[in-house]
Amino acid sequence: MPIAPSVVGWTYPAQPYEVSREKVREFAEAIGDPNPVYVETSAARERGHTDVVAPPTFAMIPVMRGVDMLMDDLGVEFARVVHVDQRFTYARAIAVGDRLETTTTLDQVRQVAGNDLLTIRSDVRDDRGEGVCESLATLLVRPEDEGEPGD
Amino acid sequence: MTDRISEPLAVGDVVADQTYWITREHLVRYAGASGDFNPIHWNDRVAEAVGLPGVLAHGMLTMALAGRLLTDWTGDPAAVIEYGVRFARPVVVPDDDTGIAVRVAASVTAVRDDGVVALEINVRAGEQKVLTQARALARPPAADGPVESDA
Repeated sequence: MPIAPSVVGWTYPAQPYEVSREKVREFAEAIGDPNPVYVETSAARERGHTDVVAPPTFAMIPVMRGVDMLMDDLGVEFARVVHVDQRFTYARAIAVGDRLETTTTLDQVRQVAGNDLLTIRSDVRDDRGEGVCESLATLLVRPEDEGEPGD
Repeated sequence: MTDRISEPLAVGDVVADQTYWITREHLVRYAGASGDFNPIHWNDRVAEAVGLPGVLAHGMLTMALAGRLLTDWTGDPAAVIEYGVRFARPVVVPDDDTGIAVRVAASVTAVRDDGVVALEINVRAGEQKVLTQARALARPPAADGPVESDA
């Protein structure tokens, strides 16, 4: 069953995410990035940051909090989801110690060749309400009755 | 340790070009670091059952590698202002020790008056473009940018 157009405009209350030093290190290691600004406070300070900062796509971690909630509410399992595109606009780098608040909005639902295309906007702010990053994602959701069961 | 000659950037300049290897180990690490445990990124059985040609790299991992090229160039993740991609083709990661090579190259498409550079990022696995519409806005490293004297 396609996703009902009535869900367009759904907005979730801001979801908190606290950025920890070890998560940033783990993420940088996972993408194989040896840049010292992700692990050494002194290297980050040389660049004018107060503490260690995160790689740009680290933003997906707080963003996923809200996307997961949305998918849960729509009854969509991740095996049916294909990430079509992703865009981030940054006001500043995410830094260790940030207490982020991410507001998720389902901007658009379109049906394309039997699939649902969802446009999801996530507004990532710090605990002072200052904008940190905006994410715009398009997800394709395949219908549930198609193909063999995944698990 | 920069011996970059501070010539102004011009449209068409390739500012960075690098090959990254993605193995199954990287997928496991990225799954843990990002919290994206979708089984199509680690389970052959599930990947096959949903009709995929094999276990796929997380689109966000490929995006992160192309992002790494950007931050290697700028030196600082905070210099990346905007970054977006379209996940055009899946990156199938074989179950061997070598993995798959992803080649990333970034070239200048515009230089704004404020020094911000627009980049087009070419991301290929073999001959196939795996990310399309991969674009970024970034402040170039100091040696490449206009010297800002009075603030």
